Amino acid sequence: MKEGMFFILFLIAMTSVCDTVNQIFLKSAINSLHVSLSGNIFKILKFIFRLILVPRVWVSFVFSILSLSMWLFVLSKIDLNLAFSLDSMHYIFIAFASQHILKEKVCFKRWSGILFIILGIVLVSIS
Amino acid sequence: MLKGKITAKLFAFLVFTDVLETFIHFCFKRGATSHGVHQVNALPDLFFFLQGVFLSPYIWIGLLSVAVAFTLWSTILSKIDLSVAVPVCSFSYIFVPIASIIFLHEKISLLRWGGILMILIGVILVSLTSKDKESLL
Repeated sequence: MKEGMFFILFLIAMTSVCDTVNQIFLKSAINSLHVSLSGNIFKILKFIFRLILVPRVWVSFVFSILSLSMWLFVLSKIDLNLAFSLDSMHYIFIAFASQHILKEKVCFKRWSGILFIILGIVLVSIS
Repeated sequence: MLKGKITAKLFAFLVFTDVLETFIHFCFKRGATSHGVHQVNALPDLFFFLQGVFLSPYIWIGLLSVAVAFTLWSTILSKIDLSVAVPVCSFSYIFVPIASIIFLHEKISLLRWGGILMILIGVILVSLTSKDKESLL
């Protein structure tokens, strides 16, 4: 049972990592297109068409499939509440990766907001 | 005024994408377990499993939702930072308890209210750090 639990924890961490990689690749592909969209639906569809031709998006697809399959496996093994509170660590991964890979400015206010969200999710999940 | 309108739309996009994401998980889970095969030990089993999966309507609804969610999410990301979009998505953690109060008349414990309040504070803080032209709230 103990070993099984470690394996599940490892899988949840891997789900978060895969999800982060997926988001980082997608965002960097979008950034590389340099578009600013308006509300026009045809412009949006054209943008999506150009986007799926970027190879980085396909890397992001692979990681999102990996993350989804691991997540479904995890959910079949442990309690939903526990899974959700542990999964909230991916907010930290995303913020960290955005800061260092995408060079986004994550200031103190944004970090504290993220911390509040994580604490809130843990509270909502355990109660 | 127009700017405010667009950002409200963006916020609606974010929330809708998140709800769709949950729906996708539900569809895939149902699609993968709706037929008899539970153990895949050999190649023929795998074939039957995949046949069952792809004959299930849940999988097709799920895949369609994936396409819609991807379009919405990419549109959002073309406008705001990733480190803003992802935390703001946690808004769905507030919707579920509130929906269960309104529709299921459930009692929400004090601890859970505290959690909801904290998420709300966090989302507002994160949104405030987004640049002026990209602000969400």
